Amino acid sequence: MIEVKNLTFFYGKDKQALHGLDFTVEDGEIFGFLGPNGSGKSTTQKILTGILKGHGGKVSLFGQDISAAYGQEFFQKIGVLFEFPYLYANLSAVDNLNYFASFYPREQRRDVGELLDALEFKPDFLKKPVSSCSKGMRQRVSLARALVSNPRLLFLDEPTSGLDPSGAVLFRRIIEQERKKGTTVFVTTHNMVDADLLCDRVAFISNGNIVALDTPKNLKEKNSNHRVVIDYLYQGQRETKTIKALELEAGIPFAHNEIISIHSQEPTLEDMFIQYTGRGLS
Amino acid sequence: MGKGFCALFKKDCRMLMSGKFFLMAIGFLILYTAYVNLGYIRFMQMPPYNVYLYDPAGTQAEKSPLVQTVFSMENMDAVLLSDANGVGLDASAGEVQVVLYKGAEHIDRHRADYALSLLRPSASPAPEVLGTNTPEQKARKEITCELLFFELAAVGFLGIAAVLFKEKGMGVIRVHAILPVQKDLFLLSKLAVFLLSDLAFAVLLTLLNVGLTDGAAVLPAVLLQTAILSLMMALVGLLCALLLKDFRQFTLAYLVIAIFAATPVFLSANTSIKFDWIGCHPFYHVYMGLKNAYFGADISLACYVGAVGIIVLLFLAVRRAFHREIGKEG
Repeated sequence: MIEVKNLTFFYGKDKQALHGLDFTVEDGEIFGFLGPNGSGKSTTQKILTGILKGHGGKVSLFGQDISAAYGQEFFQKIGVLFEFPYLYANLSAVDNLNYFASFYPREQRRDVGELLDALEFKPDFLKKPVSSCSKGMRQRVSLARALVSNPRLLFLDEPTSGLDPSGAVLFRRIIEQERKKGTTVFVTTHNMVDADLLCDRVAFISNGNIVALDTPKNLKEKNSNHRVVIDYLYQGQRETKTIKALELEAGIPFAHNEIISIHSQEPTLEDMFIQYTGRGLS
Repeated sequence: MGKGFCALFKKDCRMLMSGKFFLMAIGFLILYTAYVNLGYIRFMQMPPYNVYLYDPAGTQAEKSPLVQTVFSMENMDAVLLSDANGVGLDASAGEVQVVLYKGAEHIDRHRADYALSLLRPSASPAPEVLGTNTPEQKARKEITCELLFFELAAVGFLGIAAVLFKEKGMGVIRVHAILPVQKDLFLLSKLAVFLLSDLAFAVLLTLLNVGLTDGAAVLPAVLLQTAILSLMMALVGLLCALLLKDFRQFTLAYLVIAIFAATPVFLSANTSIKFDWIGCHPFYHVYMGLKNAYFGADISLACYVGAVGIIVLLFLAVRRAFHREIGKEG
C-alpha cells in the first residue's frame, strides 16, 4: 500500500527534516509511526497525504509513484484524521459531515447518521452547532469525517487525543473494524497504549531517522531480560524474588507458602522508545 | 469540478449568512439610501449662506428671493449673531455695505461676492452647461459613486477577511488540502460569493439613489467597474487574512489600506486638491473608472488591461499564500 525508499525532505535550503526513511506498509495493516515532537512524523504524513511537495527519494502509494498519485482519485481513496478536530464551528455535526461528504462520489459515501451512531455521538447534539459540543464529541465528528468516504487508506494523527478512556476504547474498536474491512491505517501517535494495542508494526522515528521498526511484541521481547518478579508469602513473611522465566518451567524453584503475584519484567513500548532514541515521547 | 464548486459556494454563502454579512450589507444599503435621499440631496440644494438685507429705502428692487429682509441694524446684528455663516447687506446709506463675521479671507470674499450677486441676479453670467445631467442627477451620481467605492473598498474587504480568519481559526482550511477538490476552487468560490453580493449591492444602490431610468442606463458600465474593484479588494482581503497572524494585525492593515490609501483618492478626485503622484496610485484609477462609468465617460483599454493584470497577479499571490497555509503544522 505504501512504499517509502530513502525519503528525504528539507525545510528551506539547509534544514533537513527527514534523513532517508525506508519503510513499507502492507494492505490492511495498522502501522504506527511514533516519535517525539519535531522528529519528522508530521512531515512524513504530510508528504504521504500530498500536502507537502518537494521531497527526495521514492514514495509509492496504491502501487503508483507519488508524483502521479496526487490527483482527485488519490484524495478519494484516503481519509485523514488531524490531531485537532477541524470542523465548521457554526455548522452542526450532520451539516459538517454532509458538506465534507459532498466532495466524494455518491456511491462511495457512508450514511452520516449511521456513522455518528456507531461513534456514539450524542443524538441531542446532532442539529446543534459543533461549537456547543465537547472536545470528545468533536473528535467523534472528526473521525466520522475521515471515514465518511469509505477510505482505503486512513491516516490518523493522535486519534484518541482529548477522549475519555471509554471514548479511546471505542475509537480503537472502530479502527480495528476498519482494518477488518481491509482498510490500511497509518497512525502517528504519542500514545503508547494505542500503539501497543492497535498497531501490527511500529516505527520509531527520531531526528528524521527511523531507529527501529518491528511489531510491538518483537520490540519488547528482543529487549526483555526474560525475568519474572514473584511476590510470595513464606512462614508468614511477604517476600519478593526475581528469577529467569525459564526457571518457571519446572515450577516455582524456591520454598513458599503462597504466591501473591508474578510479573514479567518485559519492557514497555515507551521504555523501548527511550532506549532506541534516547528521548522521551513528550 | 462543478459539484465541488457548488458545495464550496453553498458553504461560503452559509458562512456569510451566519456571520450576518448580508444583514450588514442590507443595513448599509438602507443607511446610504436614507443619507442620499433625506440628507445629501437636500443639503446640496440649499443655498450655501443665508443673506440678510437691511434696505429701509427699498433701493434693491431686483434682489433674489433668496435674500431675507431685516428691519433694523439691531435686528441684523441679532440674526448674524445666531447665524455666524450668514452675510448681512446694509443698503441704508446708499452704497451697499457687507456685514459678516470674519472667517478665512478667501471664504469671506466668496461669501461677500455671493451675497452681492443675489442683489443683481440678472447680471450674473449664465454658466455653460456641460453634459446632460441636471445638478441633482450630478449630485446623485457623485455621491452614489463615492458610497459604492467606500462600500467595496472598506466594507467588502473587511467581510471577506473576516470569513477567512474564521476558517483559519477553525483550521478547516487544512482539511480542504486532503479533499478531492481542486484547491483553487476554495478561493474562487469565495471570490464568486463576494463578487455576486457586491454586484447585487451595486445594482440596488444605483437604482435606489440615481433613479430607475438614469441608473439602468449606466448600470452595465458601473457593474463592470464594480466587478474589477470587488475582485481586487476581495483578493487583497484574502491575502491579508492568509498572511497576517490574527484579526488585530489585520485591523492595522485595514486602517492603512482603507484610510491612508483611500483618503488621497477621494481628495484628488472630488476636491481641488491635487497630488503630483496621484497618477501612480492604483486606487485613483479604479475610483476614476467607477466615476467615469456613472457619468458615461469612456474608459481607456489600458485601464482594463492594467486591472486584469493586477487581478491575475493578486490571485497568484493569494494562491501561493493559500498553499503555504494548508501545509502548516496541524
